[in-house]
Parts: sequence; structure tokens; C-alpha cells
Amino acid sequence: MTAPASPVGTGIGLRQPHYREVFERRPPLAFLEVHSENFFLEGGASMHALERARAAYPISLHGVGLSLGSADRLAGEHLARLKRLVDRVEPALVSEHLCWGAVGGVHFNDLLPLPYTGEALALLADRVDHVQTVLKRRLLVENLSAYVECRDSEMTETAFLAELARRTGCGLLLDLNNLYVNATNFGFDAGQRLDALDAASIGQIHLAGHSVVDDCLVDTHGAVVCDPVWALYAQACRRFGPKPTLIEWDTDLPALDVLLQQAAQASDIAEREPAHA
Amino acid sequence: MPDLLDFQADFGAALRDRARTPALAHRLAGEPDVVDTRMAIYRANMVAAADKALSAAYPVIRQVVGAEFFHGLAREYQRATPSTSGDLTAFGATFDAFLAAFEHTRPMPYLPELARLEWAAHLAYGAADAPAWDVAALAAIPPDRQDAIRFQWCPGLAVVRSASPIVRIWTIHQPGFDGVFEVDWGRAETALVARDGFAVTVVDCPPADAAFIEASLRGASLGDAAAAALEDHPHFDLGALLARAFAARLVCGATH
Repeated sequence: MTAPASPVGTGIGLRQPHYREVFERRPPLAFLEVHSENFFLEGGASMHALERARAAYPISLHGVGLSLGSADRLAGEHLARLKRLVDRVEPALVSEHLCWGAVGGVHFNDLLPLPYTGEALALLADRVDHVQTVLKRRLLVENLSAYVECRDSEMTETAFLAELARRTGCGLLLDLNNLYVNATNFGFDAGQRLDALDAASIGQIHLAGHSVVDDCLVDTHGAVVCDPVWALYAQACRRFGPKPTLIEWDTDLPALDVLLQQAAQASDIAEREPAHA
Repeated sequence: MPDLLDFQADFGAALRDRARTPALAHRLAGEPDVVDTRMAIYRANMVAAADKALSAAYPVIRQVVGAEFFHGLAREYQRATPSTSGDLTAFGATFDAFLAAFEHTRPMPYLPELARLEWAAHLAYGAADAPAWDVAALAAIPPDRQDAIRFQWCPGLAVVRSASPIVRIWTIHQPGFDGVFEVDWGRAETALVARDGFAVTVVDCPPADAAFIEASLRGASLGDAAAAALEDHPHFDLGALLARAFAARLVCGATH
């Protein structure tokens, strides 16, 4: 299988309420991203919509359920279904999260944080190797938004990801909203973290909105990108050069035009900020 | 136990039971009360994910009982039957049994029956695409061989028996329904769930037809399935059933 080349430019998450309008208007986007697990189906209306999307745009498959970091097991049947989908769609990008979500046979269907230890790094490197071997392609691994931090961590999440990319050759999906959410929740400088990352390892950037609950930023993907995240994006563009960039929106989905406006804003920043990596 | 597995087991226990949070707190940075608040975010995410998945599979039950009660059902069902897959479309397969046993839904026996219908519709939605078989292909099989035919029904086809008017309840809760919002609660309806193109169809199936289709879905030949239907329904009309099945594009192949 030859996957399409990595798309250049800005895309949006394609969600069901926008299917018809996207297919009719064909907005000028570099790619469309969907959640892999929503298409673990044999056929029917959803698969048909994905095929229509694939005919018109490069597709990015973004997984939320593989649970790469589960210590007891990697769900082989889940990976097999992802493999079937990858073979069927021939996506431009395939990504998952640096997280765990299941233990002892129970799945929490959430993206839960890992302790950033040597033990976890060895496990993740094995898992990412295995996934890349099965899928026969490079996997992008995304940094997480989190509300708790493990005391046992021996390194930052960013250093962990940089080392994971070095060991496995995987790419990184840099979610700048997640980085900002964590920087606020745990009190570190998000911009400084970018310096630990190598431009060649960055395969994609995610931009999204969050909400504030009490004193905690919660990654809801339900709002416009905030100003500090736009500033981080400008910094990332200068440091890493142009990368496929996604406007991610999952809850309280607005009109398609709002997503397209956010995508246009991202494209403007990417064009305005000369890379000096 | 390796440290990471130990950590995840403690984290999972605290997610499912707030009382277990103190055992985890020493592994997390921050004051215990902050950790407690933050773990509550994960706990709410977990219930929201269950609610979202069940709402997608059981939209009619959600309308029947109301969003607030349904959220509570999602929380209790998840507590009783946690998800075992990273694919949430698989979550909810046993919701009918939960509704039959749960004390606050036990007095509503139509709910588990409706749940079986909705789960069949949920499976039919994502079933494989298969072109329907033309009735001419059936006619091309020599008459002396027809008794031995085994039908391949369209993927997703299911019969859901019930003692309640589940087809009517399902129908009046479909988006765009503009008929009279009335249910004859005395009716027992058996649902035939199928796919027509990309659309999921649910129709009230005569009991004799249901008996034939159930036998055939279990692998019975046409002759044996007809005999099974005739056993309880002496007026079963095979010709009429086949005409209806082919008109509704329910058959996508046969072996003989």
C-alpha cells in the first residue's frame, strides 16, 4: 500500500452533522480527520460517507481507543480492526495518543495519563514498534491533556515523546491546546517545551478549544482556539516550519463556517511565520 | 507487580469508586483535595462517554425515559457492566438485560424489548453492504431443488420478538415522524430489522413470517423453515412471504 504523501496545510475534523455541507461545498482544506473507531464498521451510511470524504480529500485517522500504554495488554483485535480500516482508507496520517485507557479487562474509554518513567518508555517503544510493523507505516503519537500528574515521573511528557520518537521513528502529533491546558493546570512554560522537540519528528499539529471548570482547564474540544494557543502555534510554525494542522472540534459543534474560519486563521499564521528551524 | 500495572490498577479502582482515591493519591502530585476534584473530572468523562455511546445506540429509549433519567441509566449500566473495548460502538450489547433487572425500569417490561430492537438496528446500521438478490435468480433454480435452498439474508437482518408494540413505539420516535403520536399498548409486535441501502428499516412482522425467517437465519433450508412456520401457523403462505421478502430486498443470495 502506498499512503498519500503527508498533506500540506490545514484541515478540520469531519463530524456527522457537517457531512452533507462538506460534500456539497467542498471547502478548500488540505485534509479531513475522523476518529478511527467511528469507522470500525463493515458497511452502511458512515462508511459510505468516509469513502465520499476520501474521494475528495486526504484522510487523517485519529484513534482514541487503542490504549497504547495499558500495562497488561495491547488489544490485538482493536489493532486488527484499525489495520483493516487503514488498508481500506489509505489515509495520509494515522495517529494515537500517549496514554492508557484500560486495565484488567475494563476499558474507561478515556485518555488517561502515564507516569513518564523508564518502565513506561520501554513499554511504549515496544507497543509503537509493534503497531508500526502491523500497520506498515509511521504512527503519530499525540501529547495528552491531563488533570492529574504522576509523582513518579522521571522526565517531562515532552522529553518522553522526543525519546519515543528517537527510539521508534514514530512521528509526534503536537496538540498545542493540550500542551497549554497542561501548562496551566500544572504550572509550566508551554513555549519552553517546544524547544525539546525536533522539527523532523513533528508529523501534525492539533489546535482546539477548552473550557474552564473551577481552577482547571478541561480539554473539551468545544470552543474556538484561545489567543495563547494561537501564539504557541505561531511559535511552533517558526520553530518547526509548516506542518499539517487540524482544527479539532467535538462537543457543541458549531456551523461549518466557524471551523473554516479557524482553519483560515491557522493558514494565515503558518504563511506569516517564516520557519527558522 | 510491575509498577506501571500497579499504578493503572489503582487509578482504575479510584475511577470506578471514589472511596479508593486515597490509595492512589500518594502516586499523584498535588494536595489530596485537588487530586479528588481532578479525579472527579475523569469520573464524569467516563459517565459522559457511556451516555454518548448508549445515546447513539438507544435514541428511542432516551426519548422515552428522558435525557436526565437516561444519563442515570448510563451511569448505573456502566457501573454494572463496564466497557471492555476501546470501540464504544460495541458498548451496550447487554443493555436489555440491565433494563429488565434494574429496579427503576423493571416495572416497564417494554423497555428491554425496545432495547433489543434498537440494538439490532444499531448493528444493522454498520452491517456490510450487499446487493439484494433478484427474484428471477430464485426462479432459475429448478423446482425440485428449491426446498433445499438456504437463503443468505441481507447483513444485519434480525427478528425481535416482543409482547409490546415496539415497532409502533420505534416508529413514532423517528426523526421527522409527523403522524398521530399514539400507541395501542395491547398490541404484541414482532420487529423485522433490516437495511435497505443505507437506511435501517423496522417493520411489524407477521408471526408466521418471523418463524420462517428465524429458522432460516439459524441455517434451515427453505423447506425446513417453511415446515417450522407451518407448525404453529397453519395458514402460513410461503409464496406471499417470498414475494414480500424479495420486494423488500431482504435476500442477497442463496446456496442450494
